Amino acid sequence: MKLVIDPTRCQGHGTCAQLLAEYIEMDKWHYPILNHNRLKDSHLDAAKRAVSLCPELAVSILID
Amino acid sequence: MSELISTSIMAPLGPRRLSLGWEQAQRNVNGNVAFVADLDSKPRTRVSLAEHISNYGRIPTGMTLGMILETLKVSNLTGRGGAGFPFAKKLEAVISSSSKRVPVIVANGSESEPISKKDVALLRNNPHLVLDGISLVAGILNAKNAYVYIKDREAAATMSAAIRERRDRGLSELRITVVDSPGGYVSGQETAVVRRIEKGPALPRFSTERVASSGVKGAPTLLSNVETFAHLALIARFGGDWYRLGGVSKDAGSRLLTVVGEIERPGVYEVTSAATLTEILREAGAGSLKGLLVGGYFGGWLGVNTLADLDITLDETTLNSKRLSIGAGIIGVLAKNTCPVVEAAGIVEYLASQSAGQCGPCFNGLPEISTAFARIALSSNVDRGLTELKAVIPLVEGRGGCQHPDGVIGLIRSTVAVFSDEIKLHKVGRCSVNGASHRSVLLPNNVFASNLTGIATR
Repeated sequence: MKLVIDPTRCQGHGTCAQLLAEYIEMDKWHYPILNHNRLKDSHLDAAKRAVSLCPELAVSILID
Repeated sequence: MSELISTSIMAPLGPRRLSLGWEQAQRNVNGNVAFVADLDSKPRTRVSLAEHISNYGRIPTGMTLGMILETLKVSNLTGRGGAGFPFAKKLEAVISSSSKRVPVIVANGSESEPISKKDVALLRNNPHLVLDGISLVAGILNAKNAYVYIKDREAAATMSAAIRERRDRGLSELRITVVDSPGGYVSGQETAVVRRIEKGPALPRFSTERVASSGVKGAPTLLSNVETFAHLALIARFGGDWYRLGGVSKDAGSRLLTVVGEIERPGVYEVTSAATLTEILREAGAGSLKGLLVGGYFGGWLGVNTLADLDITLDETTLNSKRLSIGAGIIGVLAKNTCPVVEAAGIVEYLASQSAGQCGPCFNGLPEISTAFARIALSSNVDRGLTELKAVIPLVEGRGGCQHPDGVIGLIRSTVAVFSDEIKLHKVGRCSVNGASHRSVLLPNNVFASNLTGIATR
């Protein structure tokens, strides 16, 4: 599973970075930097919350 | 397959292939290079369907998908919009996604690079060659809808008239729609084209899928530059082996080039793959040179120190060895007395202004990059500019929804690498060009007025 952020939708609210600090940090303009995107099973619940709580619907989980 | 080739028409050799029948191309052929259109090409009349058929013969009917693919593979035709992707591979990708949904064809003639004029020249002069290619590929894919995406109003009118001409003669059941491109640098990016066709804004869309599998309204979409379809129309008539005649390394056939900048005859040229830069620049009337911007704004520089630097062909193998690519077919020429760093900084300033404003790292980062690069160009505070670039580039690169920010960074890297001696001079407050003007040679004034001094003091 892969974590995907649509940069064209993202407005930098930062919800995803709070929920998934191991994957995401915020840059100086307050936009998320995805340091790695391979989602561990143990983080799936947090990732699902990031998907549902992102106000811009910019976060998704890609099953590959 | 030879029985499909019209016997009354000679296969064109030399540099007039796409430009057969164009008014200006009649009298300006020299070796591997033909001048085929002015930058503001106003053809007398477009080539009518009857003239088109008398020039090229009829498009062969009855070619199967397998025959077309085989012919395309022999030809090694690559896309002419910039990325240079093998067309046969793109077609195969669409075919493999077409079992469930009917595919759509899109010919991209938006030509959003301000200094490119080759697509508008092709569309105004011979829309039928493009339509031949579209119809042929639609036939083998069983497509029902095709779109031609065009920015230039006159070219769009010419294309619409050509489509009506074919429909009135009952030539095709395919529905071909002309879609207006609103212009703007990112409007020609392929997901932006798809969004515009879907009646959305002409802005890039982020997707984890390629348009070949999911493009217009989710249908598999064969999207390529208008010139690619014109080549397809020739290859179908005269064969892949004909296309390869006189080819250089993997490249073959001809291509349309826009040659602009400090030369006597700026315009659109058709050249064979054997044409060298020396030949092209002789026809274009170039003098003593500083360098060439190859491929356009997202391309790179070829520094010119000796005449031997120009003794190269434009095939991808040769260009790639110099970290260059022909891109969308643009050669921008800078004379000896022009500063390439100032020139590049003006282009970067323009490109920063052309961010779609969708992705934070792009619309925040490009103005910072542009300001830092302007400090370097103006020899005002080069060390500060270089330090700022080093800090901000990693925050921007690879983080856009499209290739726009990465293209800008590529141009800066090429400038810094190719003109490192120039940048050393700028570091000590000088410039190899005495009293370097800040006017841009490769950035038309009517497109964008650069203000480097203004942004360098930000």
